[in-house]
Amino acid sequence: MRTLTKEYMMERISKGIRNEKRKPMDYRNIKLEVGLIPNAEGSAQATIGNTKVLAGIKIDLSEPMTDTPEDGNLTTSAELLPMASENYDIGPPTPEGVEFARVVDRGIRHGNVLDTSKLFIEEGKVWSIFMDLYVLNYDGNIFDAGTLALMAALATSKIPKYEDGKVVRENMKRLETSNIVTSCTFAKVIDSLLVDPDGAEEELMKARLTITNGKELIYAMQKGLGGVFMQKEIDSLIDAAFDKSKELRNIVQKSTGD
Amino acid sequence: MKRIVVPGEMVDDKPLHLLDAFIEENKTYATVISVYDDEKKMLTPLEGLWYPRKEEVVVGVIEEAKLNTYTVQLNAPYKGIIISKYTESAMNTGDMIEASVKELDKTGTVVLSRPRVLNGGKLLKIRPAKVHRLIGKSNTMLNQISQGTGTTMKVGMNGVVWIRGGDIDLASEAVFRVQEEAHVSGLTERINKMVGSPVQVQK
Amino acid sequence: MKNTGIKLLENGRRLDGRSPKDMRSIKIIPNPIKNAGGSAYMEWGKNKVVAAVYGPSEALPRHTANPDKAVIKCRYMMAPFSSEEGHGRVGMNRRAIEISKVTAEVFENVVILDQFPGTEINIYVEVLQSDGGTRAAGITCAAVAMALSGIPMKDLPYAISVGKVGEDIILDLDKIEDNYSDADMPVAILPRTDSVALLQMDGTMSKTQFDTAMQMVLDAGKIISKLQKDALMSQYTEQGKKYG
Repeated sequence: MRTLTKEYMMERISKGIRNEKRKPMDYRNIKLEVGLIPNAEGSAQATIGNTKVLAGIKIDLSEPMTDTPEDGNLTTSAELLPMASENYDIGPPTPEGVEFARVVDRGIRHGNVLDTSKLFIEEGKVWSIFMDLYVLNYDGNIFDAGTLALMAALATSKIPKYEDGKVVRENMKRLETSNIVTSCTFAKVIDSLLVDPDGAEEELMKARLTITNGKELIYAMQKGLGGVFMQKEIDSLIDAAFDKSKELRNIVQKSTGD
Repeated sequence: MKRIVVPGEMVDDKPLHLLDAFIEENKTYATVISVYDDEKKMLTPLEGLWYPRKEEVVVGVIEEAKLNTYTVQLNAPYKGIIISKYTESAMNTGDMIEASVKELDKTGTVVLSRPRVLNGGKLLKIRPAKVHRLIGKSNTMLNQISQGTGTTMKVGMNGVVWIRGGDIDLASEAVFRVQEEAHVSGLTERINKMVGSPVQVQK
Repeated sequence: MKNTGIKLLENGRRLDGRSPKDMRSIKIIPNPIKNAGGSAYMEWGKNKVVAAVYGPSEALPRHTANPDKAVIKCRYMMAPFSSEEGHGRVGMNRRAIEISKVTAEVFENVVILDQFPGTEINIYVEVLQSDGGTRAAGITCAAVAMALSGIPMKDLPYAISVGKVGEDIILDLDKIEDNYSDADMPVAILPRTDSVALLQMDGTMSKTQFDTAMQMVLDAGKIISKLQKDALMSQYTEQGKKYG
């Protein structure tokens, strides 16, 4: 059920008012908790406002891809759980769910968070890292919550041992990560640019831009929906992403104890 | 003595005809989480869904305009319909409206009458069991919030609240606070403190 | 006992130190899922389960609707990272489909369905971490979620499993017991009448052992029902405490 009128949003946006007195470039409250699922090799739950995303990591023995025989594999999947929103349905992954998984995956992959050559065991045997994103409650901006949760889960993940032809999941070592990446998602609502759109803002946004970056470099970008951005706008959002990501990186570091 | 009862819990060992309860073997059991006052024999639900009753006011959103009818989302198990010939002017999909319940037809559809489009503003969804508390005795709570925040408000018995103008954020906060603390005494004073008293008495 | 080399019961103690009649600790948190009509999060031993209820709303697709009453639809699913072993197969397998079905059937007995003709009520159970007995945890958790959603029910179901090791009956089997015991029997009970709303069993059991097992279930049920009620009440009493 649509709960806002365009008139209402126009008035708010033109005055620069958002829910909870947020400014255009303010995030909602963020909570990042690690290690909630001890059975998983790594896990973390990111809460942004009422949005809740849980990331779980499992690491299994597998064969390498034929084109990268000396590298481990990374697989990211996402479930937009039907319990998370009345707009999410039971069934095979929707285009939205697939886009979500792929955008988060690209940021982690190209941000060199993991060195896949270190996942090589012996000829024909590598580690596969399965990264699953569970959207438990939807209130906008699952992208940034997904990246935060996955980043923290990886940074605190363990890796099994391979001994005598068997996978051993006891006394596991820390999985090595070599970078911290975070994403910032912006929504274009009417003509305003807002970071971290909530569910109501996403209902009305015309275009969305997700920028995943580290301290100095951008690793992934994704423009979503039917609307457009001008290059000038994108430039300003890149600046904003580098600025906001300082906060987000701090949150990751704090949660992982580094 | 007042106590909280949960679904299936015995409310009274005598058969009492109460809403949100059922009788089995001459005993009365609750069907929803409620507070039971065994002196007054009163069962007040803490949770519950909305059951349409004649003449009740509801707030909803036009879902679809068909040839002869409009369908209305009501945040309820049932959909509303409005027969077009009874409306004064055309309405559009997405319009927020206030209307009253004419009847509940056999198929579980709520037939609505006297629709009025609510322009601008926004809707809040609250738990239908808390609507009475939000309105308060002879509208006191509602008036307090709307006057204190300078907003215009319409409360549907179906648990949908429309707000426009004034300090919408403060008003929304107050509405949700009433929902969360509906059963805790001293609520009127707390809301008073939050939104300010509507009538300032000079000493 | 099955010849596995694993001793599930020695000197009256189980592998995790419990006696045969002990159940694992249970913690229930009300309404973690804000968008749902009602929800609950539960830790039952090492199991971590979240259940949410939506509806009643128009049954879709229309052919699934019943003109006389509401239909209950349930989806129980295990997260691919939920087990101690490797990555789980994604999606609904045959086991999950069966558990979803029997869970829905438990609630068909208690929800007052004829008040909502033509509608559907959705129960979602997500197992985030599993250690045996997840269907029982799911049902117990979903009952709390259903009550919080305000959907009228004639009872508040709970579930727990019982099993057999050698000739001994044990309550609330964990994963390893589930794998190596001689019998496993998840049961759901409607406590107002102590009627059985779910019963599954595999293994071997005599009638006397079955009766002993059922008694153990009913005894444990008193504790589980109390925990469910406490969780429901905490929703109201905590707010009450805050303001005296």
